[in-house]
Amino acid sequence: MPPKEKVESTEQVLQAVILADSFDERFQPITLETARCLLPLCNVPLISYTFEFLAVAGVQEVFVFCCSHSDKVKAFVKKYEKSSNMKINTIVSQELMSVGDAMRELDAKQLIDTDFILVTGDVVSNMKLDQVLEEHRARRQADKSAIMTMVLKKASPQHRSRSVGDGSLFVLDQGSKECLHYQPVKAFKSTREDRRMTMNMEIFDKHPEIQLRNDLIDCQVDICSVEVPALFTENFDYQDIRADFVHGILTSDLLGKTIHFHEVSDVYAARVRSTQMYDAVSKDIISRWTFPMVPDSNLQVGDCYEYRRGLVYKEKSVVLSRTCVVEEKVVIGANTQIDEMAVLSNCVIGKNCVIGANVKIDNAYIWDNVVIKDNCVVQHSIIANDAVLEQGVTINKGCLISFKVTVGANTTVPAYSRLTALAEGEDDDSDAELISDPAVVGATGRGRSFTEAEGSDDEDEVEDPKNKQVSMLAFDMSELMLSAKEQEDSASDFESEASDLEEDLISPEEELDREVAATLDRAFQDGHDVDIAVLELNTLRMATFSNFKEMRKRVIPGVLKHIDPVAKPGSGKTAKEILNRWGSLVGKMIHDEEDQLDGAYILQRACATLYQDVAQAQRVFAPALRYFYDEDILEEDAILEWYHSEKSQQGTDIEKKLREVAAPMIQHLEQSDSEESDDEDDEEDEDSE
Amino acid sequence: MSKNNELVDDLVAKLKRRQLVGSSAVAHATLKLLIVVISKNNWSTCNQLLNVVKSVGQRLVQANPTELAVGNIVRRVLHVIREEFREAESSASTNKNQSEFHAAPLTTSSSMYNLLGETNSIPDDNVQYPSSLRSNIIQEIREIKDELENIYDSIKNQASLQIHSNEIIMTIGRSKTVEEFLKMAAVKRKFQVLVAESAPSYSGQDMAVELSKAGIETTVIPDSAVFAVMSRVNKVILGTHAVLANGGLVAISGTHMMAAAAKHHSIPVVVCTGLYKLSPLYPYDEDSFNVTFNPDSVLGFEEGDLIDKVTVTNPYYDYVSPDFVNLFITNQGGHPPSYLYRLIVENYDPNDHTFDL
Repeated sequence: MPPKEKVESTEQVLQAVILADSFDERFQPITLETARCLLPLCNVPLISYTFEFLAVAGVQEVFVFCCSHSDKVKAFVKKYEKSSNMKINTIVSQELMSVGDAMRELDAKQLIDTDFILVTGDVVSNMKLDQVLEEHRARRQADKSAIMTMVLKKASPQHRSRSVGDGSLFVLDQGSKECLHYQPVKAFKSTREDRRMTMNMEIFDKHPEIQLRNDLIDCQVDICSVEVPALFTENFDYQDIRADFVHGILTSDLLGKTIHFHEVSDVYAARVRSTQMYDAVSKDIISRWTFPMVPDSNLQVGDCYEYRRGLVYKEKSVVLSRTCVVEEKVVIGANTQIDEMAVLSNCVIGKNCVIGANVKIDNAYIWDNVVIKDNCVVQHSIIANDAVLEQGVTINKGCLISFKVTVGANTTVPAYSRLTALAEGEDDDSDAELISDPAVVGATGRGRSFTEAEGSDDEDEVEDPKNKQVSMLAFDMSELMLSAKEQEDSASDFESEASDLEEDLISPEEELDREVAATLDRAFQDGHDVDIAVLELNTLRMATFSNFKEMRKRVIPGVLKHIDPVAKPGSGKTAKEILNRWGSLVGKMIHDEEDQLDGAYILQRACATLYQDVAQAQRVFAPALRYFYDEDILEEDAILEWYHSEKSQQGTDIEKKLREVAAPMIQHLEQSDSEESDDEDDEEDEDSE
Repeated sequence: MSKNNELVDDLVAKLKRRQLVGSSAVAHATLKLLIVVISKNNWSTCNQLLNVVKSVGQRLVQANPTELAVGNIVRRVLHVIREEFREAESSASTNKNQSEFHAAPLTTSSSMYNLLGETNSIPDDNVQYPSSLRSNIIQEIREIKDELENIYDSIKNQASLQIHSNEIIMTIGRSKTVEEFLKMAAVKRKFQVLVAESAPSYSGQDMAVELSKAGIETTVIPDSAVFAVMSRVNKVILGTHAVLANGGLVAISGTHMMAAAAKHHSIPVVVCTGLYKLSPLYPYDEDSFNVTFNPDSVLGFEEGDLIDKVTVTNPYYDYVSPDFVNLFITNQGGHPPSYLYRLIVENYDPNDHTFDL
């Protein structure tokens, strides 16, 4: 065997960013008590695999972003750092809600000064990144706009190491190694948009040969250039690196950035995204696909696993009784004791566990310090630290049993249950008493069944529950398909496809109406800066191929709507206050004289339509007009032109009346050289109050 | 000490991650590290130094127990240290007591003597050692290093004794030692080589390319054809990853099959190996020093549906029992397997077979 020593190619410090949080709830209730990246995978914390992967790639400095359970992650990282030759920094931010937030934080702190590797804290891979890095650097040198290289692994669509429900469709150009389009694919396509893909026709013009690929595992290992965090800052609505960032960059003509890919085939790479993937990756590790990251490499300090035939890994201190049967694909951690007649197959058992007599464990993941008493049966489930199964318990497939749960004697836990020993309303208040549910955990048990918090409100689209289900541990596709009602559903889906075409179709104008209103509401509610709101609106404008005129038509009423004509000064709702705060937003939508004229019409109409009562409309209109004049948003000429134009004199009664309100101002303007008179000023002020 | 630790950590990590593999590379790295450890550390007595080296050795061996060369080099170094101390002690005590002087060499040379008698003759801690001791030890270790560097020369010089004109030689896998050996023989003689391709690593193909570049008439055969053509072969020359105490080999997978075929046809099997690959450890079962690789090269990971249902084991090495081997050619000459115990006694101290402190 030739030595595989890595050659240091550059003197630059190679940096990597690990996103330790997954920003989802797939491992709940277990992740309520510990961080996702610290879950043991084959008895080694998940993030260790990622560290190892980076260490092999020659990374010298690592930034770990974490949010939930950051103290635990920090403690672990500190301990790990001592035994590794990498510099590992932990960055804790409680506001971190997505990949996008982490990237913006990264940009704000200016921690990165060179190309870096971006991975999530749950990547397991034995690939060597040297070649990818080299390729990326060479490409960067030739073309500065190549900002990112994604590493993709080839595998058939039904592969067990592909997370069901997290598929993705890539449009690639093999010649230039460029990714042209990206589309996430869900397992169940409930809406029409899910079932279709829109691609820019230009792609076909520019690239003579393209591939549409569904056979790639996307393990989210990316080589990013320094521009990537900056782009996240610019586009502050990007959350996900794939669905938002890659998709956004590729569909935007303005940025002119390109994203490339690197396809690997003979190495292993996967992400532990869901419990189903946890199962698959564990099996891959046991079957040695991840070599040399296998239990008997003892990558964790203090481990001492030995490999035995039949893919059995055993610590030296394990006590196996004479009659117990350890079948294939089993990992047994230190100081664990297995009693007479126990049968283990396809499972991982942690440290210091006690497995009683006659216990049958198949396909299960049992973590540290678990006690399983005599005659229990455990199938295809995860049992977390310190759990106790009393005598004769049966755990059916797909269960997640969280920390410290006790299941009482002779209880049968139904399939797909999730049990926790955490009191309801768990957050922080530790004094809340746990109310055990004897129906679930038996009379002597301790724990309750866990239900997910309904309607996580920050997700703008409700995920199909089926998509969540398929990523669950031990989930059987056939079960889902066979439920008769679902069958009908999906059949009718096809038939009705044609008919719901019209229903679904919202005209782009309505869409824009809605979006602008939502944007403004958000801005008012959260008290954004005007600049941010402008940026959002501009993005929206570009996204909908709209123009400023269309935007004005919506923004001006949108702002005026928030004025409460009967509000008292100081309440923040008077015309003056609102305009002072948000008036410049309108200014940003108005550029030349034509715009100004148009703006005046819109203002007139908006006031007329928003307020039925003439007096109220006047109270809004007058100060608004004056404000725009003062701020040079509407210039003298434009106001005069508006006043004298025929268009302003037509329309409803209210509109006409509003025009009259402007009369004194017009008079004043027409004495063009005169200075502003204080009287009128007062008059106007009175009006507005 | 901290700098040492860093170096040790580094090598341990490389061994664990398999960034550093192959007996020769590993042996060199270990020796380099031990020289630093011995020269940088503070020690005044024999036991202290032995413990320092043992503790480093223990970590290195645990990092990758299948790289037996690591342990071998550490044992060689320990042996050198003991010898040097003994020498220093005896020269110091010659003045005091003449009679003890003769006892020392006896106890070291054969394990039979201290089986029932004194277990150890570790020198007294009170003896004042000459200041040259440290440099003497380093000097001795450098000699081991020289030996490692010249290993191919000393082995290949025996080539013309083993290979005769118009012979047909069979080999498997890619071994630097065998390659040098055959190339050397080709300088004087004309012979033919058959190389088994050694699936799934196919390192035999690389070997064949190298040999044919040197002008040797080379044929690559599939592994399955080994038995069929064996009857025409005059000699089987093998490389190995390690040689165990009983004379058994840990060699690339396929070697066992070739050796068994050779035995069936009564074809002599010659193993070319440096002495640093000779380990005092005994194989208690066939898997004890084996590595099981990624199944990827046997069954592609892309075959999604299949990998769920099939378990693939891809062992890298074979264990070849000593009765298949006729001759070992080491850098100290040719030896039959039955003589290996003698080489072990000469090179390693019986106390060092395990690194327990």
